[in-house]
Amino acid sequence: MFAYAVRRVLATIPVMAIVALFVFSLLYIAPGDPAAVIAGDQATPQDVERIRASLGLDRPFLVRFGEWVWNILNGDMGVSIFTNLPVTTMIQQRIEPTVSLMVLTLCLAVSIAVPMGVIAAWKQGSWIDRAVMGFAVLGFSVPVFVVGYVLAYIFALELDWLPVQGYTKFEEGFFPWLENLILPSIALGGVYIALIARITRATMLEVLQQDYIRTARAKGAGQRNILFLHALKNAAVPIVTVIGIGIALLIGGAVVTESVFAIPGLGRLTVDAILRRDYPVIQGVVLLFSFVYVLVNLVIDLAYTLFDPRIRY
Amino acid sequence: MHRRSLLGGAAALPAAALSTASLPTASLAQPANARVLKFVPQANLTSLDPIWTTANVTRNHAWLVYDVLYGMDARFQPQPQMAAGHTVEDEGRAWTFTLRDGLRFHDGEPVRATDCVASLRRWMKRNPNGQKIEPLVDELVALDDRRLRFRLKRAFPRLLASLANPSNPAAFIMPERIARTDPFQQIRETVGSGPFRFLPREYNSGSFVAYERNPDYQPISSGAASLTAGPKVAHFDRIEWHIITDAATAAAALQAGEIDWYEQPSPEIQQLFRRNRQIVVEPIDILPNPAILRFNHLHPPFNDKKIRQALLPAVDQSDYMTAIVGPDPAGFSSMGIFTPGTPLANDAGMGALLGPRSIDRSKALLREAGYANQPIRLIGPTDILAPAALTQVAVDMFRKLEVNLDFVLTDWGSVIQRRASREPVEKGGWSTFLTAFSSFEFADPAGNFPLRGNGAAAWFGWPTIPRLEELRDAWFDAPDIEAQQRLAREIQLTALDEVPYIPVGAYLSMTSLRRNLSGRVPGFALFWNLKRS
Repeated sequence: MFAYAVRRVLATIPVMAIVALFVFSLLYIAPGDPAAVIAGDQATPQDVERIRASLGLDRPFLVRFGEWVWNILNGDMGVSIFTNLPVTTMIQQRIEPTVSLMVLTLCLAVSIAVPMGVIAAWKQGSWIDRAVMGFAVLGFSVPVFVVGYVLAYIFALELDWLPVQGYTKFEEGFFPWLENLILPSIALGGVYIALIARITRATMLEVLQQDYIRTARAKGAGQRNILFLHALKNAAVPIVTVIGIGIALLIGGAVVTESVFAIPGLGRLTVDAILRRDYPVIQGVVLLFSFVYVLVNLVIDLAYTLFDPRIRY
Repeated sequence: MHRRSLLGGAAALPAAALSTASLPTASLAQPANARVLKFVPQANLTSLDPIWTTANVTRNHAWLVYDVLYGMDARFQPQPQMAAGHTVEDEGRAWTFTLRDGLRFHDGEPVRATDCVASLRRWMKRNPNGQKIEPLVDELVALDDRRLRFRLKRAFPRLLASLANPSNPAAFIMPERIARTDPFQQIRETVGSGPFRFLPREYNSGSFVAYERNPDYQPISSGAASLTAGPKVAHFDRIEWHIITDAATAAAALQAGEIDWYEQPSPEIQQLFRRNRQIVVEPIDILPNPAILRFNHLHPPFNDKKIRQALLPAVDQSDYMTAIVGPDPAGFSSMGIFTPGTPLANDAGMGALLGPRSIDRSKALLREAGYANQPIRLIGPTDILAPAALTQVAVDMFRKLEVNLDFVLTDWGSVIQRRASREPVEKGGWSTFLTAFSSFEFADPAGNFPLRGNGAAAWFGWPTIPRLEELRDAWFDAPDIEAQQRLAREIQLTALDEVPYIPVGAYLSMTSLRRNLSGRVPGFALFWNLKRS
């Protein structure tokens, strides 16, 4: 398995290279000019030209791309055109809120969705099953930002139980940290819960039809043992796969959720950078997201061996 | 149940079990918070250099951190700030400025005349007034630590007004080592001598900016606070800028009391705030912001003066303003070339803008002018409130005129790149766009850059109108306000005949604060004298 893991890690290198080329090319041909954004509305065209030249944005594509790749290989993601801060520093400033939001959402979603799916499968056709499926449809259909606004209105404005917006660092205390993340996690987790619950239900229904489940029942195994010990473990591979795929969903959702709840995370950094054409920041963040996604998929692949002993690498 | 008792209660259980020492901390937190002002700015603070960029949000940041030799009061009169005074000799060709005693930068260093000289040299490269002054300067030197002298080739009566101009970029004073930075490159340190000190360690662009009161700042002892002039008294120990890009979230935060001041709420959100007794909605500036429809003078059809003139009867300023601020006429005013309420605003030639409005008349004029159905490309944003609203009205107007319209709506970042294109429409160029400005920028011909008629060097649209340039030069040399006002009338008549752009009205920009704040200085987001009652 170690050799497999090493091979997979090495395989990420060409993937990342293609991502890098794609992102750089896309930004090069996309409309927009950071020099014009910097100069502001009152600047003359001459001012804009001089700022563009001072930023090196008037140099040919290959020169800029080559320089960027060389710097990346040397661990330097460049400096933000606007803030003059290193991209790595800006990512460091923003990574904690995003990781916090995603981890909390993941924990919340898995701990709610998996039991929901299992129970729905167990009680197939009952009102519980219909309620779970109804919730899943709702989770898929209602946009994250609508859920966010509704939650903020009820729990922050009307009830005053939780803050409307913002983020408190974990080092400043667990409860202040949690207080700021509850509503965003629920908002972001809705679609994720729906997805995992549906897959869990479908897979469990299939597993519960298997002969070995009937045998377990015949031998007098308890319902809880059958569901969570025998059936769920065998249904785990597709569920874990969906959880992995859902990370991309979370990354996309985090961009919206962070904007709605004013959380200073990587999602907002990405949107802000795109709007003002801060090329080094966009490139750095997209590369990071791609790397995380590749890594998560690797971890998911390796996790299969824990649930299914027949899988060997 | 309220928020403090939800998770706060949960947090208190283990804390109470361990120690009671946390109680005094909690009780001290309240007054400390009362000395903190939480503000949501109009946009993210991406750049910290007010000379490098002309973004208004950076200007607002700069007025917290930096000070100027002369401030401008609400009557557009320069008043001493860092300067104790000045003398004028040699028939207006030699100006000597003396600094106040005890001025210090935030790094503890005294403010010296050499710092002012370096700062003014950098400012002259980027500010329209400064660009006018620079070629006239024979010598700009520090005579000693407290005195600096301008020696000019000829008298320039507007020197003081130029130094006091609050428009982008203002003549902010920085330490010499920072001010020596190329004006087209960004400074790397933020050190001023203003009433608040920037806290770089807490700066998180896109999220959070913090300032603390400068304990060494000495407000001038005379006069009243007015725009950027008068005593600047810092009543808060700390100013926090919370960058909240989502308007609904910012609105909810203000209603919940999580923030104190939301700089630029949209009209819909203002309606919401007006129903809340804890929130005040008021004009941030007593002067309105001008808005314009700009033409590309390089290519057909708007390279033809008669076609530009033909559009005048179709423009109903109230339509454009209603789209931005709603139907309440108190929220906007009609305007000519200069900001209403400023000394140069006048009524010369205003019949062209305020006479009977008629789409049919415009259609007839277009036919007479020989409009041959050439494509007209209107470019506009969807993500910036005022220009987006103006663009929608213009689309409707051009459709009613039945011209060959092609409108491109995109984000502001793309618009400002595209408007720099000098190519014809068929090669990706543009014909017209709409935008809005701060009131101060259109207060005089120096700041009103769309008025320039200097061709290739002019603002986007590049009109060549030598007469406007002559009048502008004459205005700079006008000896008194009466002469300036005479020239302003002539400028307005010329502009409404040549039509470098069409003014589409001026609107009051509203701001929203918690009711317990008082003492705000009108103008833009200024933080001195503001206090919590």
